[in-house]
Amino acid sequence: MVVTREEVKHLGWLAKIEMSDAEVQHYTAQIEEIISYLNKLDTIPLEQVKPITMKKNFSELRKDVPENFEDVVLGTEYRKDGFVKGPRMI
Amino acid sequence: MALYTLPAEQVVKGIKSGELSVEEYISHLFERIERVEPKINAFVTLHKEEALNRARILGKKIGEGKQSGPLAGVAFSIKDNICTKGMKTSCASKMLESYIPAYDATVIKRLLAADAIIIGKANLDEFAMGSTTEFSRYGPTRNPWDTRRVSGGSSGGSAASVAAFECTASLGSDTGGSVRCPASFCSVVGLKPTYGLVSRFGLVSYANSLEQIGPIGRTVSDVVSFLNVIAGPDENDHTTTRANKPSYSLKERKGLRVGLVKEFIEGADPAVSKIIYEAADTLAKQECYCEEVSLPSVEYALASYYTIATAEASSNLARYDNIRYGFDMNPEGYEWNSYFVRARGNFGEEAKRRIIVGSYVLSSGYYGKYYMKAHQARSLLKREMESLFNRYDALVGPTMPVLPFKIGERIDDPLKMYLVDIDTVVANLTGMPAISVPAGFADGLPVGLQIMADQFAEQTLVDVAYLFEQTAKVQRSPEL
Repeated sequence: MVVTREEVKHLGWLAKIEMSDAEVQHYTAQIEEIISYLNKLDTIPLEQVKPITMKKNFSELRKDVPENFEDVVLGTEYRKDGFVKGPRMI
Repeated sequence: MALYTLPAEQVVKGIKSGELSVEEYISHLFERIERVEPKINAFVTLHKEEALNRARILGKKIGEGKQSGPLAGVAFSIKDNICTKGMKTSCASKMLESYIPAYDATVIKRLLAADAIIIGKANLDEFAMGSTTEFSRYGPTRNPWDTRRVSGGSSGGSAASVAAFECTASLGSDTGGSVRCPASFCSVVGLKPTYGLVSRFGLVSYANSLEQIGPIGRTVSDVVSFLNVIAGPDENDHTTTRANKPSYSLKERKGLRVGLVKEFIEGADPAVSKIIYEAADTLAKQECYCEEVSLPSVEYALASYYTIATAEASSNLARYDNIRYGFDMNPEGYEWNSYFVRARGNFGEEAKRRIIVGSYVLSSGYYGKYYMKAHQARSLLKREMESLFNRYDALVGPTMPVLPFKIGERIDDPLKMYLVDIDTVVANLTGMPAISVPAGFADGLPVGLQIMADQFAEQTLVDVAYLFEQTAKVQRSPEL
């Protein structure tokens, strides 16, 4: 078996995605099939091939200056004293 | 002839000369939309009032004898993953259910400056992840040629809205074929530009190293009109090239060297291959030199694509925490992690699957086995393509290896669904431009001819597409 239920559950936790037991079950079989397909990549002798890389100099980039967006409507109504409310840290 | 069937060039001409009222034209289009939209479901949101308002302003401007833009009055739809200021941009996801962008994407700014008119936001697979538009929170978009079948995806709403004459053109995004696939299934023209030709600023990211925004239209001419407006450097997207703004034109060019990709033809449904061979004959009759060529690395293209795309997706989708924007979920009473896990559980099925696969291939220990190898395969494929473009102006084959299938037919088998992208992902992996042009029909269903060219050789792409279109004269209007 390439992919186990525990792995899928663990990856779900790392990616912060809630999944029911039924979903984990459902995904495990499908992801196993997908990963097996991706294993194809392991069959080619690629040691000599260099991956493509992009090069851009810092001087070519625009200046990093903040932009003011007027009348911004935030997509949340949970606010307090001009701040956006989030869940508590602990 | 009904007004809604007019190509962009005639709309602009009519409006500029005063023969056609912009307001009347836009109202007429909305009547058409009201009639056919219940059968198609191409739109997530319609913006009738804004469109009519812009039409009035443009009409006034023209009436006063002021200068108007190159797309004056042309109505277009926008895939709902491209940001529009003040207009909801949902990505067909619960996660962005109430997101209203504070800015326009660069492509939108340019089209509005050219006086084109936004009709509405088009349906898509959630976050552009899919090949059928079935993974939309707003239900599947139906194929105008047979409403029991899929429209293709992920820009299914874009292609279907154009095919069903609900607007003249549309903008889609193409990460692994998402403009070309629905263009092929709906018998319209769809172009994925060279990576770096069109700004991605304001496109909600799925896999940054692969995707481009591209136009969809009923004719090559309409697609070129839109490309000419949206292409060119943008300081807000550092992957755009610094070359000057290009301009493409339609001209009769013969004697082109065309390679017919053997692997694409052999892997296709025989009914599709037959139409593609006929298309090659059509080109050959126009004094094109056509011969079969081989692209052996294509065998690894799909594995390479799905590794890179899911890896980038898992990273891009990590930003959605539902705090500053998203959907209505009160953070009160939640601890940080439990809130994220609960909120992010609202990603749809395919998005979740890709996040997990992406996290898997990026896991330490697997990185070299998948992600690194995928990039090497990508490099190999690019090398092979470059060597072919030393000998040929363009490469052709089917856009999709299958005919549009029934809604629901493949939805439970993700790998089977991924396999239909085999012919389109090559252009994304190599950054090269590709276009899908209607090639004909098999069993009454559309088949698209895919044409690929070398990087930044959009003019050659347009030359071949235009030559084929003018000779083949494939029907463009479905009965609805």
